[in-house]
Amino acid sequence: MNIIEIHGLTKDYALGETTVHALRGIDLTIAKGDLVCIMGPSGCGKTTLLNVIGGIDSATTGSVRIGGQELTTLPDREITDLRLHRLGFIFQTFNLIPVLTATENVEFPLLLQKEHSKSEIRARAEKLLEEVGLSEYRHHRPSELSGGQRQRIAIARALVTNPDIVLADEPTANLDSVTGASILEIMQTMNQRQQTTFLFSTHDKNVLKYARTVVHIKDGLIDGE
Amino acid sequence: MGILLRISLRNLLRQKRRNLLLGAAIAIGMAILVMANAFSHGISDVLFNRILKYVSGNISVSFTQNGNRMNQLFRDGDRMKELIRKTVPEISSVNEAIGIFSRVIGNARTDNAILVGMDLKSETDPKRLADLKENFRLIEGSYDNLARKDLENPVLLSDEKAKSLNTHMLDVLRVRFQDVNGQNQAARVTVAGIFKPANVFMNTPVFLDIGNLKQLAGYGPNDIGQLYIMIPNPKKNAIPGANALHVALKPPLASAFGHLEFKGRSATATALGFRVDSASLAGLMKLLPGFFADYRLMSNDVLVGKALADSLGLHAGDRCSLSYPPKSGGENVTATFTVTKVLPASTNFPPNVIWVNDRAFYTFYYDHWPSPPQSENGAFLPDSTSSLHPFLCREWILMNRSHTTEEMQRDLKLLPQLKSHAVAVGVPTMYESASMIINLEYALNLITLGAVLILFFIIQVGVVNTLRMTIRERTREIGTMRAMGMQKNHVRNMFLLESFFLTLFSCFVGILLAFAGMWLLSKIQIHSEGNHWDMLLVNGHLHFKPSVLGTALFMPLILAIAAITAWFPSRTAANLPPSEALGHFG
Repeated sequence: MNIIEIHGLTKDYALGETTVHALRGIDLTIAKGDLVCIMGPSGCGKTTLLNVIGGIDSATTGSVRIGGQELTTLPDREITDLRLHRLGFIFQTFNLIPVLTATENVEFPLLLQKEHSKSEIRARAEKLLEEVGLSEYRHHRPSELSGGQRQRIAIARALVTNPDIVLADEPTANLDSVTGASILEIMQTMNQRQQTTFLFSTHDKNVLKYARTVVHIKDGLIDGE
Repeated sequence: MGILLRISLRNLLRQKRRNLLLGAAIAIGMAILVMANAFSHGISDVLFNRILKYVSGNISVSFTQNGNRMNQLFRDGDRMKELIRKTVPEISSVNEAIGIFSRVIGNARTDNAILVGMDLKSETDPKRLADLKENFRLIEGSYDNLARKDLENPVLLSDEKAKSLNTHMLDVLRVRFQDVNGQNQAARVTVAGIFKPANVFMNTPVFLDIGNLKQLAGYGPNDIGQLYIMIPNPKKNAIPGANALHVALKPPLASAFGHLEFKGRSATATALGFRVDSASLAGLMKLLPGFFADYRLMSNDVLVGKALADSLGLHAGDRCSLSYPPKSGGENVTATFTVTKVLPASTNFPPNVIWVNDRAFYTFYYDHWPSPPQSENGAFLPDSTSSLHPFLCREWILMNRSHTTEEMQRDLKLLPQLKSHAVAVGVPTMYESASMIINLEYALNLITLGAVLILFFIIQVGVVNTLRMTIRERTREIGTMRAMGMQKNHVRNMFLLESFFLTLFSCFVGILLAFAGMWLLSKIQIHSEGNHWDMLLVNGHLHFKPSVLGTALFMPLILAIAAITAWFPSRTAANLPPSEALGHFG
């Protein structure tokens, strides 16, 4: 069963008077529970593709379906709601909220959902922090943590809502190789344990071994799978 | 605590220096607003509660004679006081306020002064007594000296007045004034105390015991001057109390019932007064058109019915007398009239009535207030449905309740048009007697509010700039939150909450600052003797009276200004596309 279906996806950006064709007709399907690596050099369109799949950016043309739901025609409020309930995000620069502690950062999406009790939210956040090995840092603010620790909190935050898909944009780019590897191992473990679909982008060939499927992108087009 | 609230509050602490500076500006603005409001409120408090209430009370009942407000006299004092006590609930005290313009002759110097009566015995409430004594900071002598019997008419006067009269303690001064009957009088008074006035208004009066003053001014035993009524919580109770009193003071018809006597003959008769303004005279003439076709009713007429005139053998030009029982009891008193015309028999003008013009009527009526006539005894008392009723004299004229000083003055100016010698009774509260003070307070508040709003506008430009800077710095955070699933309105509300709390905390600090500032300023002794700024001071100190309601209203106003100014940058932040916000490097 495909969780992501993309057909004829293009994305153009206006850059001054010129138009940049970031995606030039992507067709891609991703099965539920897959761990997909989107590989390609800088500027090839990896981040744009993840942004469009995540509803963070809009497509110029084409179709993007998440769990059968067409994304390109949804209004902002519903796309935001879809992100909250069905998607998780991991960013290259971790993007934790600096004024919140590790636990509060993990709790954040659940608090936005307003669907769970306080105790349930706290229990889920602490369980995930334990799984990523950061229980003892739960009261620390992001500024008091290392890059690897921050990214593990970001993973916990992405997974706390039990999303269908986690989109990770170069999650290891700002980490040393050992820490990067540990991050990918966590993602691999979570993927296997929870059957969550993971899509991560990278330009580092060394991390391909963690992916079950690799999609190569070049100049806004799929170069091979 | 909601996640938005938590993030907003923590972000306030995150940017400490910037928010501290901005908060300080808002706090100073708020402090100025509260202090200015308390100052203007303080001015009206001084004028109302430290000056005016001693001059006119919270509610006053005035008795204007012949349109002259300075001539306050009502000859049925006990009845009036009883009526007030029955009508106005929770009275603290009812006092007479008598002030008489006089010329005081000191030691080789003279000066004008107002002789003001003080009812020493009525002040039994320790707080009010303390308030009174605060107004009389005696340099020499004692407040209690006013009650001394060994001194001739003991008086208290201000140090300035003593200086202008070149007088000292126990000096005997002479005063010249006009009494209530319009006769010039002279008297001796003794300086029993010299005080330092609490304000500029205390410079002119010379205070003496009200009993002494009434005696000097020719007041009779049941005569009263203007009454002032003190009530608890006057702001709330004064106007309803005055309204109730006004209803109760509706004047009854004035009449005297007795025996009309002429050349040894006597017949029972009712004396009624008729109004002499041109409209009333014309109205009366219309009631007997046949007779008044040949005769024009005059303002000095005294008319007698034909049957009554025939029984006494009375003709026009004859002088008859009415003997009637006075209200005060004792023997009958006599009023004499010269009959100007005998009326023909008429249903409109009953036979056993003597119709007396306004001036002659009130002259005898007020001299010896008649015992109320009874219709069972044969007195003619037309009820309100009678065609005569609108043209007949009442026991007094009741002035309209006025809402402002201007209205009150306008009504007083209209009084002479009635050409009546009846006492005009008014029931103003101190808020209407001195509405200009309220207007002054409003004006001061408006000026302050205007100035502070301009100040806040400038401060809010700072808020907008700060917020824009904050948003720019936190653009990636906004992108992250939007990516996580935060709706646009939540992003907007997060920034609005930050501005709201910054303003709220600053307002509280501003209020504390204001109170500290007012405390400090009120400690400063200001020497302004003889200067009109003195009226703004209480015992040489600035007087602030913070208003809880005023302060409570400023808060939402300032918060609303903050919310409005923060709205636009917050909305801009909320509308940032997440991909653009995430890609921002600020």
